[in-house]
Amino acid sequence: MVPTIRVSDCLLVPIQVDLDDATVERLQQQLLREIEAERAQAVILDVSMVDVIDSYISYTISETASMARLMGCRTVLCGIRPHVALTLAQMGVRLRNVAFARDLEHALILARRRGTGGVPGIAPPGPRVRG
Amino acid sequence: MPRQDLGFGVDPESYDIVIHIRREQDIATARQVVKNFAQENGFSLADVTKVTTAVSELARNVYRYAGTGSVCLRRTTRDHGTPGLEIVAVDRGPGISDVARVLAGGFSTYERSLGIGLAGVRRLMDEFEIRSEPGAGTLVRVTKYRRSL
Repeated sequence: MVPTIRVSDCLLVPIQVDLDDATVERLQQQLLREIEAERAQAVILDVSMVDVIDSYISYTISETASMARLMGCRTVLCGIRPHVALTLAQMGVRLRNVAFARDLEHALILARRRGTGGVPGIAPPGPRVRG
Repeated sequence: MPRQDLGFGVDPESYDIVIHIRREQDIATARQVVKNFAQENGFSLADVTKVTTAVSELARNVYRYAGTGSVCLRRTTRDHGTPGLEIVAVDRGPGISDVARVLAGGFSTYERSLGIGLAGVRRLMDEFEIRSEPGAGTLVRVTKYRRSL
């Protein structure tokens, strides 16, 4: 289990483990369960500690984001390191269904923004009720 | 002692490090080992990441398509002594029937993949060679050279 933190209506996921294939698949299942349980409006994946994002990890993140989207939840990828960005861009990897943020502050803005938050095809969320 | 052959005449004795790929966890192991090796050999953070990502793709291909195989690493040099890191991923798996199509990207016989693995690896590295014989296996040899300071 990757520990997650609830920040208002978002699920913050600081990834601090090496993303081997089994871990990334388990994380997908875990996040879908938690989105439902927490009724999260957005999942923020903080990858600022992640050194390697290869095509399979990218694919699984995109797939998870597309599943989350079907559940009415957007996905923000936060803090991609410069050398990881360089590698992904050079490989020609496209991460789909996610919005990109520089840091947590930016991620929270994108997560709560009405409208698509840079993610095509996401309908604006309804009015939020504050408890 | 008889000379060993990991496939395509690759002799493990002529490499500095050989990682056998047998289980899924070995992909992560290969990644970790090449990361340390590239760091020890003075590669920049950007190049360490490229080489590590390339090995992740190659080791996964071995595991997914062939089941077992090897990733071999060794130091090498180019013309005026520029140091480099050579990586060979070799297996005795089913081979690739259409190498050109795989290298064009966007093609994969494995469903959970972007199909850009090998095409991406070629873009990350300085040299790229692939040999594949259907029924006999696949060899991918890639090299990254250290940027001169």
